[in-house]
Amino acid sequence: MTVAFLTVDDVTQVFPLDDGGRYVALKDIDLSISEGEFVSLIGHSGCGKSTLLNLMAGLTQASSGGILMDGRQVTDPGPERMVVFQNYSLLPWQTVRQNIALAVNNVMRSSTAAEQSERIEQSIQLVGLGHAADKYPGELSGGMKQRVAIARALAIRPRLLLLDEPFGALDALTRGNLQQQLMQICQQAGVTTVMVTHDVDEALLLSDRVVCLTNGPEAGIGQILQVPLPRPRQRLEVMNHPDYYHLRSELIGFLQQQRRLKQRKQRVTPLVPAGKPDLETVRLGYLPGLDIAPLAVAMERGFLSEHGIELRPVAFDRWQSLEDELLKGELDVAITSATTPLALTLGLDGQPAWPAITPMTVTRSGNALCLARRFSDLGIHNLSSLAERLKGREWPLRLAVAQKGNMQELLLRHWLASGGIDPDREVELLALSPMAMEATLRAGEIDGFIAGRYRVAKAVDAGLTTVLATDLDMWGGHPEKVLTCHEDWALNHQEALLNLCAALMRGGQICEDPAEHDQLVALLGAAQWLGSGSALALQRQFDLGGDEPSGVRLPLNRFHSDRAHLANAAEGSWILSQFSRWGWSAFPSNRLELLSQVYRSDLCSRALERAGFADLRPERAPFALADGVAFDQDNPLEYLNQLPYCRATALESIPLPTGSSPRPIAAH
Amino acid sequence: MARLPGPINVIVETWDPYISQPFFDDGGTSKGLGWQILISLQRVAMGYGLAAVVGIAIGGVLGLNRFIGKGLDPVIQVLRTVPPLAWFPISLMVFQDANTSAIFVIFITAIWPIIINTAVGIREIPQDYTNVARVLRLRKGAYIRNIVIPATVPYVFTGLRISVGLAWLAIVAAEMLKADGGIGYFIWDAYNAGGDSSSSQIILAIIYVGVVGLALDRLVAYVGSRVAKGGN
Repeated sequence: MTVAFLTVDDVTQVFPLDDGGRYVALKDIDLSISEGEFVSLIGHSGCGKSTLLNLMAGLTQASSGGILMDGRQVTDPGPERMVVFQNYSLLPWQTVRQNIALAVNNVMRSSTAAEQSERIEQSIQLVGLGHAADKYPGELSGGMKQRVAIARALAIRPRLLLLDEPFGALDALTRGNLQQQLMQICQQAGVTTVMVTHDVDEALLLSDRVVCLTNGPEAGIGQILQVPLPRPRQRLEVMNHPDYYHLRSELIGFLQQQRRLKQRKQRVTPLVPAGKPDLETVRLGYLPGLDIAPLAVAMERGFLSEHGIELRPVAFDRWQSLEDELLKGELDVAITSATTPLALTLGLDGQPAWPAITPMTVTRSGNALCLARRFSDLGIHNLSSLAERLKGREWPLRLAVAQKGNMQELLLRHWLASGGIDPDREVELLALSPMAMEATLRAGEIDGFIAGRYRVAKAVDAGLTTVLATDLDMWGGHPEKVLTCHEDWALNHQEALLNLCAALMRGGQICEDPAEHDQLVALLGAAQWLGSGSALALQRQFDLGGDEPSGVRLPLNRFHSDRAHLANAAEGSWILSQFSRWGWSAFPSNRLELLSQVYRSDLCSRALERAGFADLRPERAPFALADGVAFDQDNPLEYLNQLPYCRATALESIPLPTGSSPRPIAAH
Repeated sequence: MARLPGPINVIVETWDPYISQPFFDDGGTSKGLGWQILISLQRVAMGYGLAAVVGIAIGGVLGLNRFIGKGLDPVIQVLRTVPPLAWFPISLMVFQDANTSAIFVIFITAIWPIIINTAVGIREIPQDYTNVARVLRLRKGAYIRNIVIPATVPYVFTGLRISVGLAWLAIVAAEMLKADGGIGYFIWDAYNAGGDSSSSQIILAIIYVGVVGLALDRLVAYVGSRVAKGGN
């Protein structure tokens, strides 16, 4: 990979408002542009495209983060980064020639007058304006003015050309001609170009990459689209290219989703003023397991009351009952599987769609798959020996998961499939209460189960099972449990939600502190949480580097470190890809809209701030699970195409439930 | 109530010598209207010219330096509302000379619109042009020559046009109070003379004052349009 020519590094731009507030125009923008590349910035008006361009030009300075060109920070504007401004910015009191001469003479100070005038004439000829060289801009048409502006910019041989909606004000015919000219000129000059536009066809025709910005405030990069059309390009050839309409519909889909999100934001306004001073009661549902450790700590240490929350934890023994109560409005929030917010919002399994959101990930990792002892006696110790064994079997392997369609099932299916096992034919997946798994296995009704590691460890201790795989073999650091609630509840009780998140985040930090482990085991062993029977398994869970047999030596769950709390839409995108892979839903063509509705990283940031932690942000780089196939959130369909046993990759626009859905929200 | 003469009477009564011989000179203050107007114009030229030079300079400083601009704005706003003739007694006290005082009154009347418009013009230079200057890294001199001055010229000339009208208003009034010669002196003199043709002389002088005022305005506008050639 070549070193980036221009790097936008973690740029955030904040403008002070007249009323003393702050407007965050851009948030955490990361972008690398290589030399000679043509990149378009696209997005709705007010999304900060021009702000970003001005930052690249050096006309403004980022509030945090910075811009590097050739490894040097951009601190002020300069002719090597020439801008073609939105309204041409020609000096009206100078002729075309004088306008260009001002730039050339000023930049080429060391050259002779003859060289300067040669460059000026050459530039005028380049855009075909020889006949108008001595006219004033006021006497020129919009298209001609824009050509002068481009000629002026190119005359000084910039290394980076920045175009701010260069053809926005022109009629279609002129625009088409100029686009073609610009493309030829840029290609000949080999100049790196960044163009702001809102015209999808223009972006596709000219660009190597299209960077889509989400709506402001706090605009970020929503998607980056590669435009692999061959160069040199001709408008008609481009439009007839087989990839063109796919690319075009991606871009238009993005813009439409952003528009709907904007409308949604305008429609949804809080019913009660935020920031109630008194203690707010929050009913939280959970299933006992190691994943509730942050909750237990937050309660025990008084973090919740510190943040003004009176929590009523409600324990369940089956995920289905927890979900039912959440949907009925008997619970305000719940700690659920990472797949639940999306599954509820999509309405999988024929349920009515329910607009769920998640402001934070509570835990990551922590699952293990175990099989009954007899399998290891048969020599099955890994995926390939299991696959081998299953080939000859007439009945499927019976494995239990805690809930249909939860994160464990997705991991398990992905892992099985990567080893050549068809999870729908060679395996039968049953949903069982995690508390019942060990007993069911003992009764011989299942062959194995995937569950939290501490539960697996208990079954191993009891001599029933051996561990076949942990989530390190599947996806180390996967989101396991997230906080889930209804969109309306989040809106109307935003303070309570943020406070709850902050308390859980602080609890999570303590769970990862090795000095706290003894206390943590004692706390979780209390009757109200996991019970004294869990103490041994818990001890082992936290006892890194102990002397367990190698198959049981499990690394820790992640509660806090390495950006564990992020509500990461890219991971949501992977979950959606799996829903579609196993034929549970079509792949939503409006996935970005869905994801930005469900994954509320804005709430996550505010909760982190409230908890006193540094803000987290996801990396845009593709990630891979243990099978090594890279998942690029900008191109999930390509990922699906690389996976075995892909049931359906139908693209479908999925209507999203809104807060005003018929399901009533129970009042307190 | 005294009756004023009709148009024909005005012309008949002033034909000789005021219309037919604009440049007669009987010595002393008894001169043709042409001379009287030239005397007034001379005073205006001095006061107004001085106001233009000083006003553009001060306006330039105020426009380029936001700090000074903000600090001096209240002072300017107070002083510019003082009526021209209110300055006259105090300038007579200082200068002890009617001619110098009249020039000073013109100066002090004409300077405010020039200052204000120049400063506004510089502050209102479109961001686009300053951005161009910043991207090209224009030096200060080139920036002022190529951008500040051309962009400000229309504003300056708006100020100059307002000022020339005010200056002409002020000179007639100042000359009526105390002066040797000038069109304002002529009007007041004719009134004091109280002769049969006095009212006709006054009416004729008023018409001349108006015509000259219009001519001055047009002249400044014309110069402005020539200077700001190729402008918006």
